[in-house]
Amino acid sequence: MAVIEIENLTRDYGRGRGVFDLSFEVQAGEAFGFLGPNGACKTTTIRHLMGFIKPKQGRVTINGFDCWNDRVKIQSAVGYIPGEIAFFHDMTGAEYLRFLAKYRGTGNAKQAELTERFELDDSSPIKKMSKGTKQKLGIVAAFMHNPNILILDEPSSGLDPLMQSRFIEWIDEEKKHGKTVLMSSHMFEEVERTCHRIGIIRKGRLVALDLASSLQEKHARTYTVTLEDEASAARFAADFDGQQNGLQVTVRPKQSLERIFLDYYEEVPRD
Amino acid sequence: MINAALYRRELKKSWKTLLIFSLISTLYVVIIISMYDSAMQDTLDNFIHLMPGLMEAVGLRAGTKGLLGYMSSYLYGFILIVFPMVFSMMTANRLIARYVEQGSMASLVAAPVKRSKIALTQMFTLLTGIIFLVVYITLLELVVAESNFPGELDRGKLLIMNGGLLALHLFIGALAFFFSCLFSDTKYSIAFGSGIPAVMFIIKMLANVGGVAKNFKYATFFSLYAPDDLILQSSSAWWGILALALGSVILFIAAVGIFSRKDLHI
Repeated sequence: MAVIEIENLTRDYGRGRGVFDLSFEVQAGEAFGFLGPNGACKTTTIRHLMGFIKPKQGRVTINGFDCWNDRVKIQSAVGYIPGEIAFFHDMTGAEYLRFLAKYRGTGNAKQAELTERFELDDSSPIKKMSKGTKQKLGIVAAFMHNPNILILDEPSSGLDPLMQSRFIEWIDEEKKHGKTVLMSSHMFEEVERTCHRIGIIRKGRLVALDLASSLQEKHARTYTVTLEDEASAARFAADFDGQQNGLQVTVRPKQSLERIFLDYYEEVPRD
Repeated sequence: MINAALYRRELKKSWKTLLIFSLISTLYVVIIISMYDSAMQDTLDNFIHLMPGLMEAVGLRAGTKGLLGYMSSYLYGFILIVFPMVFSMMTANRLIARYVEQGSMASLVAAPVKRSKIALTQMFTLLTGIIFLVVYITLLELVVAESNFPGELDRGKLLIMNGGLLALHLFIGALAFFFSCLFSDTKYSIAFGSGIPAVMFIIKMLANVGGVAKNFKYATFFSLYAPDDLILQSSSAWWGILALALGSVILFIAAVGIFSRKDLHI
């Protein structure tokens, strides 16, 4: 069953900017990666999903509800991390989370767990927080009411590598709980590690839509290496993140999705 | 109808501004009322005859009778209009447009709370502030007048005059709030929401000077509030108040409607 459906969404901002005839769906329990460079209008698409802007053409629905007309019905099930985090600067992190729980009326069942997990120091005023801390606060704010649908706009930007992998672990667990995830990113690794299916958007148009694994197969090269003994094969596999099979280890270049991504961008002539 | 958590937050943010505006008003109301005496009024009237243009520009008119007339001339022409007006301009702009511009509106709309409810809550915050200021000023005037000049103030007429003042300030608040909801850029919401009342007020001051400029009074909504005529209970003064009240209701409804339907690029 499709939880998120975008049908022929068009929003023209002029001079080639905007979203054009965009269609895709995200199934229940699926993690969908929405990949594109800055200015590809990923955020515009997400704003439609959140009911911030009204589609000029086409239809955007979540759980069968129209994202513009029925946005209030959708919002209680949605956790959202905005691409650009801007909270009430006059509050501390803890005050903000307390306010949000009361304001939404949806509780904060997971707040303590998330705060601990992402090592968020919520005692300082938001205006004095670093970008990374603000991002952590955004993560806690988005997930503390345990929503079923996660709409994440470049969720791990500003996080250090340790926190990024902690975030990916969290998303993996959420997927196991049957949550539906739509994650936009310009970071290939993030999407590659978390998402089952990937849509690549370029200048507001979808240029590729496929399973992450088949994108890999179609575009990425793999190398099979034979080593002298099993012990070194195991070490090699561990060091290069490869698949060991006896003396043989199959490895794949780390930036593979990035290459796929660039393929899609380079095969279209510049205009 | 309103979101309690948001209302509490906004009141908490407003109280310092309210305190400052209350203190400034207190200062002027206490000084000006305590300066009243019939002999003194003659002196002030002399000033007005010496420099009619300047004094009338700030709303001081010679010869209005009694304590209430004196207050109408010296408080209701400038001080009690300007201070609550500045409060409305600042607050209205902060409540919607600034959140949209900063992007923090995203946390408010990305929640199971209707946009109309958000706008109504912010509107109630503004209304609370305006009503608080006018009620506070009224009580202050009653206390100061009674303690300095027992029995001299016509309380009923003061209440009518301040009822009119409330209508005027609700209209100014509604205007500022309307532009705060209409524009997503504080640059424009300030230019229109504060600029229009400010320019209209300057036109009113010019019209007060009299002469040819007197006709300017038809170009400003401030003419709809005429405290002297309200004391005299003239029907045109009542129509003016009615127009202000009606205008503010229409503007508030339009503001909430616009905010509920507009695209938010946040």
